[in-house]
Amino acid sequence: MAQLQLKGIRKTYGNAAQETLKGIDINIESGEFLILVGPSGCGKSTLMNSIAGLESITEGGIYIDGEDVTHAEPKDRDIAMVFQSYALYPTMTVRENIAFGLKIRRMPKNEIETEVQRVAKLLQIEPLLDRKPAKLSGGQQQRVAMGRALARRPKIYLFDEPLSNLDAKLRVEMRTEIKRLHQRLGTTIVYVTHDQIEAMTLADRIAVIKDGELLQLGTPKEVYESPATRYVASFIGSPAMSFIPLQVEGEAGNLRGRLKSADGDEMFVPLPEKLSAWHGREIHLGIRPEHITQPLAHKQDQATIASGIFRIEVTEPTGPDVMALTHINGTEVHCRLDPDHTVAPGQPAELMIDMSRAVFFEAGQEARIDA
Amino acid sequence: MLDSTRKALTPSRVLVYATLLLACLVYLIPVFVMLITSFKTTGDIRTGNLMSMPESWSLEAWSKAWSSACTGVECNGVNGFFWNSLKMTIPAVLISTGLGAINGYVLSKWRFRGSDLFFSMLLFGCFIPFQVVLLPMASTLGKLGLANTTPGLVLVHVVYGVAFTTLFFRNFYVGVPDALVKAARLDGAGFVTIFVRIMLPLSTPIFMVCFIWQFTQIWNDFLFGVVFASGDSQPITVGLNNLVNTSTGVKEYNVDMAAAMIAALPTLLVYILAGKYFIRGLTSGSVKG
Repeated sequence: MAQLQLKGIRKTYGNAAQETLKGIDINIESGEFLILVGPSGCGKSTLMNSIAGLESITEGGIYIDGEDVTHAEPKDRDIAMVFQSYALYPTMTVRENIAFGLKIRRMPKNEIETEVQRVAKLLQIEPLLDRKPAKLSGGQQQRVAMGRALARRPKIYLFDEPLSNLDAKLRVEMRTEIKRLHQRLGTTIVYVTHDQIEAMTLADRIAVIKDGELLQLGTPKEVYESPATRYVASFIGSPAMSFIPLQVEGEAGNLRGRLKSADGDEMFVPLPEKLSAWHGREIHLGIRPEHITQPLAHKQDQATIASGIFRIEVTEPTGPDVMALTHINGTEVHCRLDPDHTVAPGQPAELMIDMSRAVFFEAGQEARIDA
Repeated sequence: MLDSTRKALTPSRVLVYATLLLACLVYLIPVFVMLITSFKTTGDIRTGNLMSMPESWSLEAWSKAWSSACTGVECNGVNGFFWNSLKMTIPAVLISTGLGAINGYVLSKWRFRGSDLFFSMLLFGCFIPFQVVLLPMASTLGKLGLANTTPGLVLVHVVYGVAFTTLFFRNFYVGVPDALVKAARLDGAGFVTIFVRIMLPLSTPIFMVCFIWQFTQIWNDFLFGVVFASGDSQPITVGLNNLVNTSTGVKEYNVDMAAAMIAALPTLLVYILAGKYFIRGLTSGSVKG
């Protein structure tokens, strides 16, 4: 367990024209579960390898418990890593795989055996100890890979997309298991994924990275409810947030925006006072599906609520909800409806929009304008 | 995968098998003739024809070829040459394969600035004809004091073989996931430990490929042997040549054939022992983690 500081990390590969990492600053507290999330090629794996010491950085510093390890060898950083491909040593048994790092660190034989047993018990892989990795299923290999990391009791654990090679059901199981392990052991974990659901469910804090830049660092709730940029807003959450273009109308104290359905019906939504500087200009309203619903009696009287009639184009029942698609101001918009509230595709329905959670962006720009 | 339903014997299939059988015969007939001739007596050869079985099976030709046939002025058979070949081939195969393994490991898993250029230049060695290096090599061996010695021949074959073995090992190790090396580095293993504990145990198939390839190349080499060795360090290929070309009276085809068989047996043996790995090693690119 340890604290990890990343200070202004920059990385440029060889003679590449673009920087892969453009100055990443993150402080990871002891025992914290930090998730690096972003699209493929955003630099998150490079950052991970840099923390592990497998790749050097061009600028900046890495500190573990205040100690500068920027130029330390991987083995001197006391970090363990779980790889996407598991990277189990194919010629060794599970026992030898787990014991390998301990043997190299010259731990006495009986202590190694005790440690292997402890880890095997923790991950319920005791019956597999004498098997070779090729004889294990994907989920079992995953457990062994975690066991190998746990056995060394390192200061920091790195997980590089550990679940992406598993099938959907197993992935959910292992996700829960990793969370349980973290709660039980209280270890410092840096976890890379491109799956925003994994990020939301596991993380204490999420770092959203794109093109080598840290877009936002915050708790899952912060990142979800108050995204720093349009990219973060669209990346986190499924189905994604809708962005509706509208004009800031009305007068000070009563700013509003006009929404027009595909059939030409109009309605107004209240806009926050912060937008008075944008009066008369076009902005984008960002709103998540769960804030466009069927009329809810208990919310009807709130000031941030508006209702209107919109034609439902497609419905997708998911079980707990029905996702419905409609057009507002010429843009596709997702709504989340109660499955008991029947709406028919192609028919108009009354929808209620809760503006209390809405976010606003300048048209065509990344940055929030109401933050 | 085995198909439980047997394929029908269509005319095209018959043609395929017939062609294969014919090809087999074409390859096997010379071996067959060599074998039966080597077991004949000189009288047998004179009276019978090429394909006829020996009247009485005799090991005389083999023993003569081995210990008393004349190879030039001396008449001690080929056994001295045979041991020379072994003394040259075994160290040369082991050293060139070992160097190839280390080279391949470095060029695939510990790349450095210019390592790809280095590899391309090394590959160039595969395409240099033997004849081109004869003179410079002779002068180098002379300066090293290794001219006309077995260690000199070993050096020549190692230098020439390293290009091939490096190519084999490098391409094999490229297929080993980099994550394995990363995991081992995080586990605290260094350059040597990773090579010995992680890479070498994976490498049996490619070692077999290199052993067979190098053994066959070096054992069968005639040019280097005849140029860079003399007298008591000459390999079996040179001995066989001398034996066949030494004519004292009647040509003893049975002895020639026996000597040729003796010269060919070791490569056959190596292929039989390691052959099952050969195809596997050539075709297996990746190792499943």
